[in-house]
Amino acid sequence: MRKRPMRKELSFLRSGRVTAGAILVGIVLICALFAPLLAPHDPQEQNLITTLTPPAWSTGGDPTYLLGTDSLGRDVLSRLLYGARVAMTVAVAASLGAMLIGATLAHLAGYFGGKVDWVIGRAVDVWMSFPPVVLSLVLMTGLGAGISSVILAIVLVDWTRFCRVLRAEVLVTRRQDYVAAARLVGFSHWRTLTREILPATMPLLITLFSIEMGIAVIVEAILSFVGMSVGANQSAWGQMIADARQTIYESGWNLVLPMLAIFVTVLGFNLLGDGLRRTLDPRLAQAREL
Amino acid sequence: MIVQVLGLFARRLLVAIPILFVVSALVFVVLRVLPVDPAAMSMPPNATKAEIEMKRQEMGLDRPLPEQYAIWLDKTVKGDLGSSIHFRRAVSSLIAETLPATVELALLAMLIAAALGFAGGLLLFHLRGTWRGEAADLGSTVLMSAPDFLWGLLFILAFGVLWPLLPFTGRLASSFARPVHTGFLLLDTLIEGRPDMFLDVVKHMLLPATALGLAFSVPIMRVLRSSLYEIDHADYIRQARLRGVSEGRILLRHALKNAVLPTLTLMGVQFGFLFGGTLLIEVIYSYPGLGNLMVDAVRNADLPIIQAVALAYAAVVLIINMIVDGLYLVLNPRLRTV
Amino acid sequence: MNASMLEAKNLTVESRLADGRRLPVLSGISFALEAGKVLGLVGESGAGKSMIGRTIAQLLPPGFSVTAGSLSFAGRDLVRMGAQARRQLLGREIAFIPQEPLGALNPVMTIGAQFGEHLSRLGIRAEKRRRDEAQVLLEAVHLPRAVQLLRQYPHELSGGMCQRVLIAMAFASRPKLVIADEPTTALDATIQARIIGLMGEMRDAYGAALVFITHDLRLAAKFCDEVMVLYAGRAVEKGETRDLLSAPLHPYTRCLQLAVPSLSALDRDLFTLPGEMPGLARLAGLHGCRFARRCPNVGEICRNEEPKLSPVAPKREAACFRTEMTLDIKVPNQGIPAQPKLASPLLLVEALEKRYRSRRGLLACTELAAVDGVSFTVSENEFVGVVGESGSGKSTLAKLIIGLETPSSGRIELGGHDASDRSENARRRRLESAQMVFQDPQSALNPRRRVASIVTQVLEAAAPRLPASARQLRAEELLAEVGLSAELGARYPSQLSGGQKQRVNIARALCATPKLLIADEIVSGLDVSVQAQLIALLRRLRRELSFALLLISHDLAVVRKLCERVLVMWRGKIVEQGVTAEVFARPRHPYTRELIAAVPGE
Repeated sequence: MRKRPMRKELSFLRSGRVTAGAILVGIVLICALFAPLLAPHDPQEQNLITTLTPPAWSTGGDPTYLLGTDSLGRDVLSRLLYGARVAMTVAVAASLGAMLIGATLAHLAGYFGGKVDWVIGRAVDVWMSFPPVVLSLVLMTGLGAGISSVILAIVLVDWTRFCRVLRAEVLVTRRQDYVAAARLVGFSHWRTLTREILPATMPLLITLFSIEMGIAVIVEAILSFVGMSVGANQSAWGQMIADARQTIYESGWNLVLPMLAIFVTVLGFNLLGDGLRRTLDPRLAQAREL
Repeated sequence: MIVQVLGLFARRLLVAIPILFVVSALVFVVLRVLPVDPAAMSMPPNATKAEIEMKRQEMGLDRPLPEQYAIWLDKTVKGDLGSSIHFRRAVSSLIAETLPATVELALLAMLIAAALGFAGGLLLFHLRGTWRGEAADLGSTVLMSAPDFLWGLLFILAFGVLWPLLPFTGRLASSFARPVHTGFLLLDTLIEGRPDMFLDVVKHMLLPATALGLAFSVPIMRVLRSSLYEIDHADYIRQARLRGVSEGRILLRHALKNAVLPTLTLMGVQFGFLFGGTLLIEVIYSYPGLGNLMVDAVRNADLPIIQAVALAYAAVVLIINMIVDGLYLVLNPRLRTV
Repeated sequence: MNASMLEAKNLTVESRLADGRRLPVLSGISFALEAGKVLGLVGESGAGKSMIGRTIAQLLPPGFSVTAGSLSFAGRDLVRMGAQARRQLLGREIAFIPQEPLGALNPVMTIGAQFGEHLSRLGIRAEKRRRDEAQVLLEAVHLPRAVQLLRQYPHELSGGMCQRVLIAMAFASRPKLVIADEPTTALDATIQARIIGLMGEMRDAYGAALVFITHDLRLAAKFCDEVMVLYAGRAVEKGETRDLLSAPLHPYTRCLQLAVPSLSALDRDLFTLPGEMPGLARLAGLHGCRFARRCPNVGEICRNEEPKLSPVAPKREAACFRTEMTLDIKVPNQGIPAQPKLASPLLLVEALEKRYRSRRGLLACTELAAVDGVSFTVSENEFVGVVGESGSGKSTLAKLIIGLETPSSGRIELGGHDASDRSENARRRRLESAQMVFQDPQSALNPRRRVASIVTQVLEAAAPRLPASARQLRAEELLAEVGLSAELGARYPSQLSGGQKQRVNIARALCATPKLLIADEIVSGLDVSVQAQLIALLRRLRRELSFALLLISHDLAVVRKLCERVLVMWRGKIVEQGVTAEVFARPRHPYTRELIAAVPGE
């Protein structure tokens, strides 16, 4: 019989997620906020003599360029730090926008039902018949390149993700008797939504928000990979990957480092979101995961 | 039951048409708000304003929006998707070349994702409650944070550059002559009776498909595990245990049949994302599919291609969703009764 | 004397917590069950009766284990038996009948597939033979059209039909021991009676020993040869059914008996035991008799020493030091009930109808009338009951009156005003005229609000500028009125027991001092003693606050206790109505007669 009650060490593996995620996100946030102070070089400064130097700890490395240089002699570390700015800006702004639109529509659809639900549901269906990457590309074509277009594109594509998942949760909550009871004691629709339904959907909302930030980072990387995000005078992680791909045989590090940056950031947001889901609704967590 | 499935297909096809309609209209509108002028982009840099204006008229860009759409719609229904500004070829022939490649890749990736997902889900379920299970659970969260293109690049580095085991560009070695029948190379090589070519195609597809499949297997794993977990506590499973049915049989014959349902629903939703993932994977692997075509078209503001490719993506996703829903209907008797 | 099929000797099951503490779930249980006899395990929720079933199957929850005593089946030790050997027994010589029949069958497998798998395990491999055998077994449980049934899926069957299938499967192997854990709780009263009858038939046909686990004393009285009453994990009384129930020796049994409402003409009040059965966590720190805190006959010795189950009469055992005082326990006089003011009608319902459309097939639509032309009145301060089985439309009727659903046609007048008026004034008026107490306390109380906030929810919308102190005061008032201590106001619903939650439910409805209270099955699913408490509460509130009550219930005895008038509903129509005592004593409509006949013990 393998079913023994949980040991204390195992429960760390769970609640530790929030801490671990918060730490990772915190590190990236600090890099983004303090990039001008932390970066040893100007990320755009080219130095055609010292191109493609490996990181400082391998042979041929140069301690002034801690993580090496790229094909145009620019410092990889500085570029990574400034790339964090782009990533975090897009992550926060786009997720906020997508969440506001998606959550509002989800609550309206789930609470009022009927025609409102039908219209919003059909809109979500149409949107989701498109792979999001394709839709973002099409939108970018129309909006033109640049960070604000990237943010707008992500908002316009990803609100459906929020909407669909939250709507299901709103429906479940709405069926509870206490919502009907609130109406019976005289609560208006607005009060019922804000006082009875929203507190119940809040944990899921926060989780989705955290995960959406990870997704936004990925989408930005994809768009800067194909050259549609920031201009050539800024550094973004996707762009660094695209550049490094040209010199893949000479310098593997240039490829791996921005990949690692993306991975660590997304991991941080995912751990945070997953951990929050488990802690904010502890009854759920315990019941399901015993 | 067949009747009900066919009925579902008929209903979904009927619904798909207005969806495609709306989709194409939306794309049309978005593309016409371009900050770039496709006419200017297709002319040499020293073209005069008059020449550019003539080009615009030639491309029909000066007519009012609804009229442009009506013309496009009319032509599309007749099969004429326009002609590419950049490649100077009919769009329909470009799509006929690239669509099968992408679909082939996506289907193979989905297969890999399903296989890995089910195996992983069963394993995660089997290990539940132990420290190995918790570690594996954490591991799956970690894996999920690596997007598909990251795996794609990693595989190139690992198996293409550092230990060159597999090719990572294109679909077929240039030494072979490409057979042209259906466009699905896996089929075509078999039709030609060339197992060596078949193997070569598989080798080319292995890295990109596995990268995609691996990335999308993780959500499948997690949903299967949590469904199995919930089902394990269901009354009917308890009753089966009380009847003395063995645990193995309970898992495979009783629980799995029920757990498949929400997993299948997730796979349907995920396919849309997977199909979109092929875009960047194709760019990374220089794979001549829809994705590469799209990226080139976006870079060149080649509107006819963008329009048609967007429609193609939407159509494939709708068809696959229809098939998944049909499968769900077959597997879930509760939806089938009159 | 027959060899006993199932024998327990001082069986003790404990739960081990993460911090090493041990909580006793079952203590010192002993009994011997012979072939062909039925042993009833009677107890309220938390008493531990289901745990015995789980111990037999060794499907104990994680952390639970047998720490002392023994449990043996036909001489073989069940606890120390290896897993393989036990699996051989399950489904063959030991069979189980579950509580929720609809959920106990795999929804994606046909009945035939599941039956076939079971028969295959029993050794019948050939497919044709399996089908034939299944048909024979299904016919034995009176299920017609067995061939068609085998091809159907569980969701196409009713609860009663599913239970018959499960009984057929249980008896397929001619088991020596059958454990039935609350097999009829989820079924309607009329079906319940038939299933009990069927189980009796099967027992006679196969001579199996049966363990019948139930919370319903009346059912145990009807069906069991011997009864063991459980309280807080211990057996407090054991003996032959008729003797035990005609003259109980343990105070708990006696109180339980007196707390069960009955249909018979004896218009006595119900005995209300204070408090609730101690939960698992509290048991660890208890000294002395576990029932001492609630016992009306409690003495000094009861608080210090724990009584053991010992013979006090031939074939009778009880765990009490003062059994000679038990029969003295009587129901205290609870005062004259309030009288309704029949002259002033409060609620007027006329030709009320609610129709639903459902789509069948591709194009056809059928209409279902959930409420089909219902008319009645309720006067001020009058308690009216609405009885019927599932599908009768009584819940829909409640929702229509309170305004959660809109009627398809007909009229509802509340306090002289038309209830369909949707204006703001009308809504405010409706607040004070009628309130609803919901059935499921789990979903009726917002888990994120504290109790004090829940009971005064009316004030949040009606008087938003009311200072917090005034609101707190009102909350304390309301809690006191429903018999809860003021400190519970700071807790969350998840920290309350079922009975407490239901009281909070009632308190919230009372906050607006409505003239009419609509209660939808508010005592169903609660323990007998808790039910008695709530009934007494409603009667007291009626005297103090004077309101009318429309009680929706499937339990005729509860309605008999509380309501002076009753409406009997069937398929959306009222088939009979009148003074409760009259209708139950001399029912005129055949359906009413059927309902009354289905009540066990009448």
